[in-house]
Amino acid sequence: MRPPSTEPPRQPPGRIDVPPIALKWHEHFGVLNISLLLFLFAIVSSAGVLRGSGRDLDYLANIRGFLGTFFPPDLSVTGRTLIGLWETIQIAVMATAFAIVASVPIAIAGAQTLSPRWLVFITRLLMNGIRTVPSLIWALLAVAIVGPNPLAGVIGLTFYSVGYLGKFFSDAFESVDVEVARALRALGARTIQAFQYGLWPHAKPLVWSYSLWMLEYNIRSAAIVGIVGAGGVGLQLHTYQEYYQWDKFATVLLYMFLLVSALDLLGERVRKKIVRKAVATNPC
Amino acid sequence: MQSNSPGQVSLPGAVAAPKLSPHLSIKGLGLKRNDRWLFRNLNWEVPRGSVVAVVGPSGVGKSSLLNCLAGLTTPTEGELTFSCNAGCLHEASGYQKRVGIVFQNLLLSPNSSVLRNVLCGRLGRYPWWQTLFHFPRADKQEAALLLADLGLAAHLHRRAADTSGGEQQRAAVARALFQEPELLLADEPVSNLDAYLCEHVLGILRHEAHDKQRTVFCVLHDPALLERFADYALSLDPMNPEKWRIRVIHAASLN
Repeated sequence: MRPPSTEPPRQPPGRIDVPPIALKWHEHFGVLNISLLLFLFAIVSSAGVLRGSGRDLDYLANIRGFLGTFFPPDLSVTGRTLIGLWETIQIAVMATAFAIVASVPIAIAGAQTLSPRWLVFITRLLMNGIRTVPSLIWALLAVAIVGPNPLAGVIGLTFYSVGYLGKFFSDAFESVDVEVARALRALGARTIQAFQYGLWPHAKPLVWSYSLWMLEYNIRSAAIVGIVGAGGVGLQLHTYQEYYQWDKFATVLLYMFLLVSALDLLGERVRKKIVRKAVATNPC
Repeated sequence: MQSNSPGQVSLPGAVAAPKLSPHLSIKGLGLKRNDRWLFRNLNWEVPRGSVVAVVGPSGVGKSSLLNCLAGLTTPTEGELTFSCNAGCLHEASGYQKRVGIVFQNLLLSPNSSVLRNVLCGRLGRYPWWQTLFHFPRADKQEAALLLADLGLAAHLHRRAADTSGGEQQRAAVARALFQEPELLLADEPVSNLDAYLCEHVLGILRHEAHDKQRTVFCVLHDPALLERFADYALSLDPMNPEKWRIRVIHAASLN
């Protein structure tokens, strides 16, 4: 490249300086490469867990033996399983509904564009804390408080979902341009009105799409929390496992698989449709 | 005045107010941005019910001047006194509710319908719980009429983002008109419109000013439109912030 005309030429015309092609050694170490290196190091130092029990076990025979007890699935428990699954869905729906209602104000408090910094910090910290505890542990806590019944499942999953939805909704609110809400303030609207008419219409598709995702996720989790006694199909799983009735266990798994796949297919499509419109919107 | 029938004047205060009483008095107004004066020592008693075109090259401070008048920007020096149509005096901050604004970048809510965007102009009239679910029916009808007048009857329920730039601009004008403001500040309200619609929109603004005693400040670039629709032209000078100029164009029509 020729230097701009304002600078004196550094080299005789007709000769082009080749810029140095090789990087200096430290220029190879971006965040990407450093984290890759660290991960390689972590692999080497973690190999110990692959040792197993150290006993001489025939893994293949074990797999064959165990899976053999699953087949054929005992379809006579279909009725009970479907009832259990229905309860599981009910638990998930209630938990998601409570979580949505609780998450909107929490998300406003946690959105950097809407709240003072100290409040955002506290809220985010709180939500991180909630997310750190797995849903199974939340359900265990709830069982200790309200006893082993579906209500415990609802309470446990609500807490867990608030941790996620609070964060997602915050992100949704932050992704919306606050200029429109500010403009409405300038036209005389009150804060709540500016939020409702200037910000909410744009955040709503995202908020609803996250809510649907949470519902899907909760239906999956609700099947598990039953294991600690919080109602739903998980309780059935737990019982069959205790009594080594693996053919019945297999039936429950089969129906869970069907439900979850159906949800996955449906939810994915609906959410894509909702969000596509929101993302394709230009500011005006 | 264009209107001869008193029935067309909608505000009761407008009849009582003398026609040429100043609506807005600007005293020694100055605004400094990044260590540079955009305008300074601006003094003017703006007559009520006039159309003022604000002109000048880009970046001269036209939008900033409108922001000062709207109370959105605090001027570096000087003061503004508004005398509302009922006759009391206000500072810029106390007058904000009576100011309608057409923003240069429109700032419509893209995911809301055109109708709803226009209705938003009246949010300030109601407490929040009254607008939580819907606006009063009368308001909706009025907004629909206004939009029909601006040629948007077919787009009432379309999302603002799905309409064209010109349609959005008319929706923004409609939102400001729907506020029924005493002072209307329009930052390039016709930049995206064709010649016919330009004249129509400016005609509406002129009608607002003359028949309803609302003062209109409008950033305009087209000299031909300026000659036809403005009563005064306030031009800002990019080289000398104190060399602003007010040119009388149609003041005769005010009497």
